[in-house]
Amino acid sequence: MSTPVLEARDVSMVFGGLKALKGVTLTLDEGKIVGLIGPNGAGKTTFFNCLTGLYQPTTGQVLLKGKELPGDPAHVTKAGVARTFQNIRLFPSMTVLENVLVGRHSRMKQGPLASLFHGPAYQRGERAARERSRELLAFVGLNNLDDELSRNLPYGDQRRLEIARALATDPAVLLLDEPTAGMNPQETEATQQLIFRIRETGVSVVVIEHDIKFIFGLCDSVSVLVQGELLVEGSPETVRADPRVVEAYLGKPPEEVQHDVEAAAASAEEEQA
Amino acid sequence: MSTSTVSTPAAAPPVEQRSALAPLGKPFAAVGGVLGIVAALLPWVTFGLKDGNWPDKSTLQFFDAPFAVTGFRWHVLLLGVLILVAAFAPVPSKGRVVRALGWGLAVVSFINGAYITVKGGGLGAITALDGDVAFGSIVGLVGGVLAILAGYGIGIELPGQWKVKLSTPVAYLVLLVSFAAVLYAVAAMLTTGGVGTSNPYAGAIFLSFLGFAGGVLAALSGVGFIRWLSVLSEEHRVFSVIVLAACALLLPFTEAGNEYWMTVAANIGIYAATAIGLNIVVGLAGLLDLGYVAFMGIGALVAANFSGAATAHFGITLPFPVAAVIAGVVAGIFGAIVGSPTLRVRGDYLAIVTLAFGEIFTRSAQNDIGGITNGSNAIPGIPPLSLFGAEFNKSFSIGAVKLPAGVLYYILIVLLVAATMAVFANLKFSRIGRAWIAIREDEDAARAMGIQTGKKKILAFLIGATLAGLAGAVFAHKNGTVSYESFKFMESVTLLAAVILGGMGSIPGAVLGAALLFVLPEKLREFEEYRLMIFGLALIVIMRFRPQGLIPDRHRRAELADEDVGGVPVDEVHEVPKEAKA
Repeated sequence: MSTPVLEARDVSMVFGGLKALKGVTLTLDEGKIVGLIGPNGAGKTTFFNCLTGLYQPTTGQVLLKGKELPGDPAHVTKAGVARTFQNIRLFPSMTVLENVLVGRHSRMKQGPLASLFHGPAYQRGERAARERSRELLAFVGLNNLDDELSRNLPYGDQRRLEIARALATDPAVLLLDEPTAGMNPQETEATQQLIFRIRETGVSVVVIEHDIKFIFGLCDSVSVLVQGELLVEGSPETVRADPRVVEAYLGKPPEEVQHDVEAAAASAEEEQA
Repeated sequence: MSTSTVSTPAAAPPVEQRSALAPLGKPFAAVGGVLGIVAALLPWVTFGLKDGNWPDKSTLQFFDAPFAVTGFRWHVLLLGVLILVAAFAPVPSKGRVVRALGWGLAVVSFINGAYITVKGGGLGAITALDGDVAFGSIVGLVGGVLAILAGYGIGIELPGQWKVKLSTPVAYLVLLVSFAAVLYAVAAMLTTGGVGTSNPYAGAIFLSFLGFAGGVLAALSGVGFIRWLSVLSEEHRVFSVIVLAACALLLPFTEAGNEYWMTVAANIGIYAATAIGLNIVVGLAGLLDLGYVAFMGIGALVAANFSGAATAHFGITLPFPVAAVIAGVVAGIFGAIVGSPTLRVRGDYLAIVTLAFGEIFTRSAQNDIGGITNGSNAIPGIPPLSLFGAEFNKSFSIGAVKLPAGVLYYILIVLLVAATMAVFANLKFSRIGRAWIAIREDEDAARAMGIQTGKKKILAFLIGATLAGLAGAVFAHKNGTVSYESFKFMESVTLLAAVILGGMGSIPGAVLGAALLFVLPEKLREFEEYRLMIFGLALIVIMRFRPQGLIPDRHRRAELADEDVGGVPVDEVHEVPKEAKA
């Protein structure tokens, strides 16, 4: 069996007395999409932060293609792990193109002197970076918006720009933190297609998402995180059928939930009438 | 001050802005304009003040020479005519333009009126006294206020957008004329009211001129001319830079070409170069530095000690270029040292670290710690620079044209400022500059993009400090004395104010900010004890009405115009109900 592209072994994270992650293990094979689901506060984003070096795991290792990742976000990105953020974190007063160019940072060579004198080699590098950035913007479907400030983009476009910026780092692994949060069904569908296309370019993907339907339609395998522990891992079918997952999410037996949902629907109708 | 709301189409003024004033817009503007013209021809003072007649023949002169009005009366006349033109000609963003001109008229009238009242000892001076009448300032003020109201009545729209494309020669001509006008305005700003205290009314005349210039500039910006011009100059960047440099070098040939103003302009230039360096740290990388002037002090001290002055300590005399480079390098090293805590501290805490560093520098220099500063005796007698036998502080002539003393320093400093600008511009639009801006915007996201934020922040400090050190080296030779007194906390704050006032991250902004901050106190000398109070008030007013700075960076400028994008505001989209997704 080939080495997985990304492997988290027994990752734990302790904040003071709070155990946010308890020995989480996750394996991502090349060219796969893995989903990470779980209720609020389960530790999904903390886990992402451990993977990208923003946090140092208290115990455990993170390996990229069998090599341990350095403990610093900048170096992790350079090694080939890129991410997006749950609450969009673009550079708001930079233009769309500049945002993507910042993503190219670790793949560009120009140091302070080259940046000062703008010599021919600098110009070539800069042109290449612009070209690549425009390609990526076209890839995520943001054409002709280069000089727009990113703060002015509609919400869905901001999400896509964040993905383009992450892709600009030429990652082997892309970590998406709730890429469809706040999107309508059409946008969600488009995001799903986009993630499939990203996989086709040879990038492996880990997705955190609350939208179960979206995750099950997208992922090759799904891991369920509950209170910092890995509850279930497996194909979407296995996970969907697992009663523990439903319980973990809703905290009640399914019948009661069904009842609650009906009651809510009834009260909503009343309000309308 | 903009009342327009997000997502309103730029073309149609929103209904809610059309207040009760709406039908009165044009009539008010017409009356305001006429009142402005009338005010210009009315007398402004009922008697000769004790310091001499109010300038520009405005004492008791009534319609005597309508074609020979000068000074502030000429400004008032011009504003009145412009208000009339703006009210009836098809002008883009009419309300904004009329309002701006109205403010200009009101400010000019108010300043002159208030000053006459105070100097003349009562309202009698500007109304009627002993059978003489002089209602000029009141009529002007009423006209101004009416025009401001008219502006709101007509409706404050977004500034006009010009799509005019010019062929290259025409564009060059436009740029040439515009920059010549800038040169004229700069010379006028420096010389209005005369040199120093030669004119008892210099301060008031200067403030009045600022009111006029501000009103006209705001109107031009309202019409959309300023933005169009800046886009044009960006398209023809090389040409613009050459013309601007030429204009700067031509300043000695204007009215401002005397020793006094050459010295003031050179001082401004030194602080402008330093402010541009600070702009890298504060404007680009977003690191608040409250002790920045210390780097300039370090550069000045190094240069002074290598200058061969009698009290220098290093015992060797180096030629200025070598000494300047060493000064820059030493300051840069200190910059990196001060910057290193930035790896650990952020925001307010960093500001305190830099504040402490500035204080350490001042105190050690004051007490001659290290034995190279001479403490409070300073290092006097630094020889002036000379090139091919021409001493920089002497006057100098090319053929028959005799240039004022200090002109060579002025030219050196123009070159220094130009070089600093080039460094800033090249860095800003590079991989490094983008990394700095990314750090400023969101440090964690920047790290997640592969930027080694610690190294980049230290680099910002290093480069900023090097530029300050170079400026300090020039400062040492130009002033002839280096004392710790010139590099105190107050100077750091003034530099920071110059950067923020001009517009963070913007090059012309830093120059303009430095110019205002170092010219205003000079110009306001006659107000004596009120000088710094007026200065402080002026800063408050500017920051209240133009928080993004006088000449904001392109990005910040765009921020104000984000209404025309037509995108849905982000905050609204966040509220998608959860059920819609499932």
